[in-house]
Formats: sequence, C-alpha cells, structure tokens
Amino acid sequence: MTHHRDIGAGPPDEYVEAEIQRLLVEDPAVAEQGITVIRRERALVLYGEVESPHRREEILRRVSERFPDVPITSDIGVIRAQAPTEIEQLP
Amino acid sequence: MVIRIAAVGDVHLDEDVVGRFRPALEELPECADVLLLAGDLTRHGTEAEARCVAEEFGGLSVPVVTVLGNHDHQCDQVPQVVKVLEDAGITVLEGNGVVLDCAGGRLGIAGVKGFGGGFAGRCASDFGEPEMKAFVRTTTDSADRLGAALRSLDCDMLVALTHYSPVPDTLAGEPLEIYPFLGSYQLGQAIDSAPTALAVHGHAHAGTERGTTPGGVRVRNVAHPVIKQAYSVFHVGDQLDTDQVSPIGQSGSQRSWS
Repeated sequence: MTHHRDIGAGPPDEYVEAEIQRLLVEDPAVAEQGITVIRRERALVLYGEVESPHRREEILRRVSERFPDVPITSDIGVIRAQAPTEIEQLP
Repeated sequence: MVIRIAAVGDVHLDEDVVGRFRPALEELPECADVLLLAGDLTRHGTEAEARCVAEEFGGLSVPVVTVLGNHDHQCDQVPQVVKVLEDAGITVLEGNGVVLDCAGGRLGIAGVKGFGGGFAGRCASDFGEPEMKAFVRTTTDSADRLGAALRSLDCDMLVALTHYSPVPDTLAGEPLEIYPFLGSYQLGQAIDSAPTALAVHGHAHAGTERGTTPGGVRVRNVAHPVIKQAYSVFHVGDQLDTDQVSPIGQSGSQRSWS
C-alpha cells in the first residue's frame, strides 16, 4: 500500500532546501550564489560569506519571512577586506 | 623581469560595501603595477551599483583592468555598467586585450567573462535541443575570443583574465554537481594556445586558490571569499628578489579588519 504524505505536514524537506537555495540567488534583496544550505537534524543551517553585516541580516530576514515554520540557523561570516600580508612569487 | 599583479574578483559592490576595500587599495602602488578585477563587481549589474564600483576602484594610482561576471549581467544594463566603469578609468575587457607598460616590461592582459560547460570528459556537448547548443556555443565563442585576444598581444608577459574558471583544480571545495556552471575546459584550451604566464579567475566562492592548466599555465582563483583579503598579489618573473616584497608584509599585517 502506498503511503501518502499528510498534506498538512508541508512539503518534504528536500524541496524546502531547494526553494531556500533558489531564494538566496533569485531574491533581488539577497542575490547570493555562495551560501550553502545544509539540513541538520534540528534545523537548516546556512553557511557562507558575504560582503557586509547588512547582507547577512537580510538573508536571515528573507528566509524566515518566506519559511516561518522552518528552524534556520545561520553561520554566515563577513569577508575580511584587509591588505594582503604576503605576496606569491611565480618564477 | 618582474611584473607585480594584484587581483580580486567577486567583490559584489553596492552602497553597503563602499569604503571597505579602499584603505587596502590605497596601498596598491607599493606592491603592484596593476589591479585585475575578475568579474562580479556588482550584485545585480545595475548602473547605480557600477557607480559604487567606480567610487571604490576608480582613481587609484595603478591601472585597473576588469572583466564582467554573471552578476554584472543580471539587470541587462551591461552597456551602462561598462560606461560607468570606463568613465572612472577602468579598462573593461570582453574578447579583447590591453598592453600596459610596467617597470618590469610590457604586460599583456586578455580577458573574457567566459561561461560554463564543464571539464574534459564531463562536459556539455554542442548537440540536441537549440537551448543546449546555444549554451555550449556561448562557451565555445567566448573561449575562441579569449584565445584570439591572447595570441594577438605583443608584450613581454601575458595574463588571461576571466570570471569563469578554465580548470577544475581551483573549484575544489565546490559541489562536483555544479562544476559545469562554474567553468569550462575550453577556456583552459584557449589559455594554453598562447604563451600565457598566469590565468586569473573568480566565480567559485567555495573553491581553492591554486591550479594549473593541462598545458602548465598557473591558474589562480581570486574570488574574494576564497582569498579572504582585499586582493592577492603575484610577482611574476624570472628575477624575483625576496627583499623587494617585505614592505607589504609590514604594512598589511598591522591593519585591523574587525
């Protein structure tokens, strides 16, 4: 016998993961291709690095807005922009 | 002969980022003859974002040469973006090249954005639906223009500048499944068709810095999330002197970046 998912349970996690990944790229307020979405037991974790603290906050805001029932954890950093301390010599 | 090349890609500028790179950029004349930007200068490719790039990377004491990236195409304002950049003195390459007179010799830079397609044995083919053929032909055309530009330059040292990767080596860290969207072996083939000394690209935020084409050309992924500094500096040549490079270490290491 085929078991059907309870419609009330929402879409399977894999589709949610795919939707979040696309939201991160296609939402003009985010437009990030370098954020990885990883499914953990208790939450979806967002990893990656962005160019400003504002962008990090915006990512969390937009994802939480669109998926209010999905527990999201963020581990997104802001990329350093200091002058280099070493050069690479290429003979 | 030593030519000093600074490079960074994927800086994705908008108003919220303006000023972050500038302190490090002011140090460029001490350590580099040229700054190469490997595409994705903006978030969405708008004229307003291009003005942010012009403000951040314009008016430097070294020449700035760039290619555009896929983000710079998002809003279909490429002509406006290019104009803003060129008005700021930034040279924008797409299927052409430029030769700069540096203290160490004439540096030739050929650039294209490039495109995806994948790498030898695991790549898309010019076959089937029109959409598939258009995809692969975009890559082939881009690689052909890069090769022609590289071979046309009269210079002492040749550098290839792309947004997409010419080799899989510098993609290590990215999911294998998306390699075909990150670069193409045809770009590597074009780079190997000329006596190229160095190939610089961006696009792969989770990739790694170093790679080599099948023909032995050094490839560097300078995407900002990969290098984690304002720019990388490469001293390319046959008379390298370690004493010449110490000042940058002293300067950069003292800067706080919190």
